[in-house]
Amino acid sequence: MPDGPLIVQSDKTLLLEVDHPSAEQARRSIAPFAELERAPEHVHTYRLTALGLWNARAAGHDAEQVVSTLIEFSRYPVPHALLVDVAETMARYGRLQLVQDPAHGLVLRSTDRAVLAEVLKSRRTAGLVGERLDDATVAVHPSERGHLKQVLVKLGWPAEDLAGYVDGEKHPIELSPVTKPRTEHEKAAAWEMRPYQAQAVDGFWHGGSGVVVLPCGAGKTIVGAGAMAKSGTTTLILVTNTVSARQWRDELVRRTTLTEDEIGEYSGARKEIKPVTIATYQVLTTKRKGVYTHLELLDARDWGLVLYDEVHLLPAPVFRMTADLQARRRLGLTATLVREDGREDEVFSLIGPKRFDAPWKDIEAQGYIAPADCVEVRLTLPESERMTYATAEMEDKYRLAASASGKKKVVEQIVARHPDDQVLVIGQYIDQLEELAEHLGAPIITGATTTKERQRLFGAFREGEISRLVVSKVANYSVDLPEASVAIQVSGSFGSRQEEAQRLGRIMRPKADGRTAHFYAVVARDTVDQDFAAHRQRFLAEQGYAYRILDAEDLDESPADSSAL
Amino acid sequence: MASSLPAAPAAATRHFADDLRQRSDTALAALLRARPDLAAPSPSTLRSLAARASSRTSLERALARVDALTLQVLEAVLALEPVLRPVPEPPGPREVPELSEETARDRDAGAAPLAGPLSVDVVTWALGGAAEELPRVAAAVGLAVEQALLWDAGGQYGATLDLRTVPGLDELLGPNPAGLGPHLDPVPDGLPEAVGHALGSAPGRAETAVALDKLLAQAPPGARAILDALAWGPPVGVVPAAGSRPRDAVNWLVTAHLLVRSDARHVVLPRLVGLALRDGHTHREPRTLPPEPQGRAVHTTTADAEAASAALELVRRVRLLRQAWDDSPPSVLRAGGLGVRDLRRVATQLETDERATAFVVEVAALAGLVRDDGDAPPSYVPTVTDWDDLDDAARWARLVEAWLASRRAPWLVGSRDDKGALRAPLSPDLQRPWVPRLRTGVLGVLAGEPAGDIVVAPTPEAVVEVLTWRTPRSVPPASAVEGLLAEAEWLGVTGAGALSTPGRALVLSRRDGSDGSEAQVAPVTRASDQSGDGGPAGALRAVLPHEVDEILLQGDLTGIVPGRPSRDLARLLDRSTDVESRGAATTVRFSPASVTRALDQGETADGMLDELAHRSPVPVPQPLEYLIRDTARRHGAVRVGAASSYLRAADATVLAGLEHDPTLVGLNLVRLAPTVLAASVPAAALHEALRKRGLVSALEGTDGRVLVARKGVTGRAMPAPRSAAAIRMGTGSDVVGRAPDPEDLVAELRAVEDAARAGARARASAAEVARSAATSGGGAPLRGYRVVASVPRSAEPTREGPRPGALEPLPAADTPRLDRAVKPIPAIGAEALDEDSGTQHPADGLALLRDALRDGSTVIVEVAGHTGRLERRELKPLNLDGGRLRALDPDREAELTIAVHRIAAVLPTSPAP
Repeated sequence: MPDGPLIVQSDKTLLLEVDHPSAEQARRSIAPFAELERAPEHVHTYRLTALGLWNARAAGHDAEQVVSTLIEFSRYPVPHALLVDVAETMARYGRLQLVQDPAHGLVLRSTDRAVLAEVLKSRRTAGLVGERLDDATVAVHPSERGHLKQVLVKLGWPAEDLAGYVDGEKHPIELSPVTKPRTEHEKAAAWEMRPYQAQAVDGFWHGGSGVVVLPCGAGKTIVGAGAMAKSGTTTLILVTNTVSARQWRDELVRRTTLTEDEIGEYSGARKEIKPVTIATYQVLTTKRKGVYTHLELLDARDWGLVLYDEVHLLPAPVFRMTADLQARRRLGLTATLVREDGREDEVFSLIGPKRFDAPWKDIEAQGYIAPADCVEVRLTLPESERMTYATAEMEDKYRLAASASGKKKVVEQIVARHPDDQVLVIGQYIDQLEELAEHLGAPIITGATTTKERQRLFGAFREGEISRLVVSKVANYSVDLPEASVAIQVSGSFGSRQEEAQRLGRIMRPKADGRTAHFYAVVARDTVDQDFAAHRQRFLAEQGYAYRILDAEDLDESPADSSAL
Repeated sequence: MASSLPAAPAAATRHFADDLRQRSDTALAALLRARPDLAAPSPSTLRSLAARASSRTSLERALARVDALTLQVLEAVLALEPVLRPVPEPPGPREVPELSEETARDRDAGAAPLAGPLSVDVVTWALGGAAEELPRVAAAVGLAVEQALLWDAGGQYGATLDLRTVPGLDELLGPNPAGLGPHLDPVPDGLPEAVGHALGSAPGRAETAVALDKLLAQAPPGARAILDALAWGPPVGVVPAAGSRPRDAVNWLVTAHLLVRSDARHVVLPRLVGLALRDGHTHREPRTLPPEPQGRAVHTTTADAEAASAALELVRRVRLLRQAWDDSPPSVLRAGGLGVRDLRRVATQLETDERATAFVVEVAALAGLVRDDGDAPPSYVPTVTDWDDLDDAARWARLVEAWLASRRAPWLVGSRDDKGALRAPLSPDLQRPWVPRLRTGVLGVLAGEPAGDIVVAPTPEAVVEVLTWRTPRSVPPASAVEGLLAEAEWLGVTGAGALSTPGRALVLSRRDGSDGSEAQVAPVTRASDQSGDGGPAGALRAVLPHEVDEILLQGDLTGIVPGRPSRDLARLLDRSTDVESRGAATTVRFSPASVTRALDQGETADGMLDELAHRSPVPVPQPLEYLIRDTARRHGAVRVGAASSYLRAADATVLAGLEHDPTLVGLNLVRLAPTVLAASVPAAALHEALRKRGLVSALEGTDGRVLVARKGVTGRAMPAPRSAAAIRMGTGSDVVGRAPDPEDLVAELRAVEDAARAGARARASAAEVARSAATSGGGAPLRGYRVVASVPRSAEPTREGPRPGALEPLPAADTPRLDRAVKPIPAIGAEALDEDSGTQHPADGLALLRDALRDGSTVIVEVAGHTGRLERRELKPLNLDGGRLRALDPDREAELTIAVHRIAAVLPTSPAP
């Protein structure tokens, strides 16, 4: 196609011109093998990675298909070296296979003896494999299946896992066609999965295991529920905190045939094991005298499905435990698969490849998440504070800038601009938040707040009894506040991109009246606060959320609604 | 080896020198053109030209350039030459002693020629070629004749040639041409005729087998197997142990003259028998055509796209290199070249590996874009040139044309020389005279494929294979071919390994522009610089991606140019953005640092925003606008300047008014703060001036805080290299003297010839006088020797006809041979040397020796004796090899060996009286 929507660069990035008539078709065609890296307004950037290409192989695409897709949609001739590289990379997949041998159990088999020899010679595979059975086969300890797969990916010879999954204990789970009322006032309403949710569930189920990436507020819980219904087995759900665990339980009760009795909570507070058990990462990783005391949970039942909520937060010990769960189906859910520690690849190799990914703006365009307007408000520090800042030690600088006194007034101004909205004020530093709460006369939730109090306050906020809420980072994730439409971020944990995105996610549930959500980041000018903010915004900017930048002094003049701009 | 060849009687000889003399002027000019080394330095006479053409070095050069087919032709002629001649005289007495008696006996029997002349037909058949291959063989023969590797003994150059090899060729092609043994007598009965038929007319070709079978009818078992084993060479076998059955077979074969005992342990297959076994062929099949280069098939569009991006990348890298070296010029190593550390630094700046960087550096130097500045110590700097003003395609053309003419081998960078030192880029050590020829060869292989939708990207091995066919006597090293192919890829001459359209244009422009001879390295042509559509630049322009003048600006502070940025846009982006991804499109990112860079270079926020808005089809996103304005706001908040001295006071009033004081105008006082003034004169001068004005100032100690004016960055830029500097860098174009024009040279040679002839007549009469003077007992006989030296040139057949009889007896009369004594020759006086310009060239002497060897005639040799005095002897050369002449002194009946370097002159004798 001489005038295709795609430009293939020799550094393995693919530039997709969004406004091109065949852009959608091109996007669908390249999605199986290319990673979406940036999705700003005009040109989206995809990248070809070895892992992505191998995942495509695992999903049944071959190099020829990839090459012809690139050539078909490319506007300019595709660099020759890249095509060769694609073919060579994809040819590396599947030379090694993990299979169940009737006599020897799990074995690693090779169609290419040299590759097997090379892999076995590596120090990294030592201890993961057992006896050499013949020229092309070597026994594998079943417990090392995950580790071995990880190591093989690092060695550049990914294994095709044909060993399959255990079926797990059967437990009937169905999606209920109508929502079960939460309170007496609420009426049962008919519902069904949105198309992209159904697509995500199918993608996952065909692949066996993997990760589904959906924006905050796009209904990841429902994808989880759909997967459980497909599986129809006992399920272990791992979540970030207790509040989130309860939200999962409520949502499952509402949307499926499961009853409260069938769902157990395994957290610091309660230790129930039921056909569907929701556990927190924290309790799993609790160590007593150097031993993980709650590991038996993983073997407590013959789980047919393990679900990881917010998989981008997966702590290192859970990574290791997950490696032992390779025989069970695994589903990871996340909105932001970016990790500042760069361990995205481990997520892919342990949980499974990315099975579904949609740019935020696409879902927004379909109306399933609220359109959001992101504004960075720049505050000029007064002379005295600038002096303090300039002379402060490096480690104190962020704290000083982030909790600048001027932010109070800015927050007040912003709150005043949104008299009718549910407003969240989010920050990092407790004393700053307490000061703000006092100033605004709003309740505050921090790590010190009890779960019960948290639930009460969130409940009141949902019901609209209170319209202002000050929260610390405890509300970063998995807190479902459908009607919150304004978030003001006064400080954050340095340059964390996913925190920014998750905070924006708090206000992205579609509103009843379809109104735009507003996200404000208040930043002190010419300080590290500004630099961190720039880094934090990168993920969202790449998802197409362009931040407007306002000077704090101009707040009064500028209208609240971006559409008027 | 010459000695193993039976020599023909002298009477039948027509010499190679005669052949050259009889060639037309055009043919001689063609020869000089084909073998330029013959013309430089200019030979003084046609004889010395002939001598030079048959000298070992010149022949080696000529052979190094012939293709496989021509080489086969030469081998075939060399192998058949003695066979098709009348069977010769016996060889020297000690050559093959056991044969000599039989030789004498069989002489008459073999005297009849085997067949007719050694014509092209014969050669074609000998090569095993079919009739349709005749034209190619004929062409190869024509080429060999033109290069004087072959000549026509018939002298007519008519329809049927009787081909002979140039004297000296046998030495180069070894004793067993085409794996055939020596031509020895006696020959088995019937075999010469059979071979003669095989080589002759087609119907007789079956006869050899019949004749052989007849000869072998009584042979013991295993005899045929022994012959077959030796048939296709090497023709020498080890004699089996005595008493064994094979030994009996060998003995039988020796008796039947089908094998010859060459020494106690070896037998050799005579040439005729070998030919008979091969059915009259010298080769199994003719290698008429070069092998097809094997490789991947590549679409021309792909090759062009790859080439375009490579070309752009190279131009960009050269530009970056010039910038980098403008900022900090690296120093030149003492032995010349760029140091390893500097190379690594440049490689980082160019974002590539060291190998590619070395090439960029080299090609930039070749195009005269960087050079050493000649300072002490010298460093490499960019030159002042119009290169920057050209468009990408023209810039590329400059680079690629410079590369095409270069004699440098950048792929050697990083390897070690004989002393173990690393070879550095730009070092004179990388000069290799054979590079242009090899490059032409490699490009020739690539261009050999016809242009079309699909082109072949040959592997380096395939290229070497083709080049091996082209010049089997000088096979290029695979590493050099790989190096050149890599360079071609970096330049965009090839794309994805196949010749690109611009590359093809380059090769064509080269072919049109010069005659392809290696000595002529065309200077960098600038014709293609102009923005016309012709030449390589035009061809590149045609395949470059569209020039795009717009940039899509996005909210995440990136911008995308969906194509090749136009020059203005590229300049803007270069200044104000960091490139994230390069290729068919360019992705750039705006950052505070990049915007600051633009501001440093004199851009303004408004200017930048205007330009971006102008070039963006979408409005400039608010974050980008904010970034630029915010950066501009902060830009210049801290300023740096230069001053020579300062003036400060605790009280601002003291300094009041000084700034505008007319008497202090020369100090250029600038008020920096109420209590600080800066001045542009040294502290001492400022101090003095203030004192004069009546202001008592104190000089602050120069503890290093006194600012010193920064040294300006001017004067770095240098003019483009002159040739001398280029030579020092080792990158200059050809420094070898140009060969004279062949036609002029031929005319000159003819003139000398004629003059010599005329002069010889004159000298002959002078010699007459001298001789009568000598016989009358007085005078100096010296002149006579000089006359002798000059006679042979005209003593041989001339174009005009029979030689003048008057000249014939003269030299003999004077030769001391008549005394049968080795008569010391008095040292030749300086005036004697001056008098005659024709002092003998060593090659002349050797040529005479070779002729004598071949003819079995005698020559007069002047040898420098132990005392340095010249001795003169008449000798019959037996062997000339390895710098030694083995010869028979017939007068003394002794054999002697003389080192060739002791031979001062060789003179022909007339046939013995």
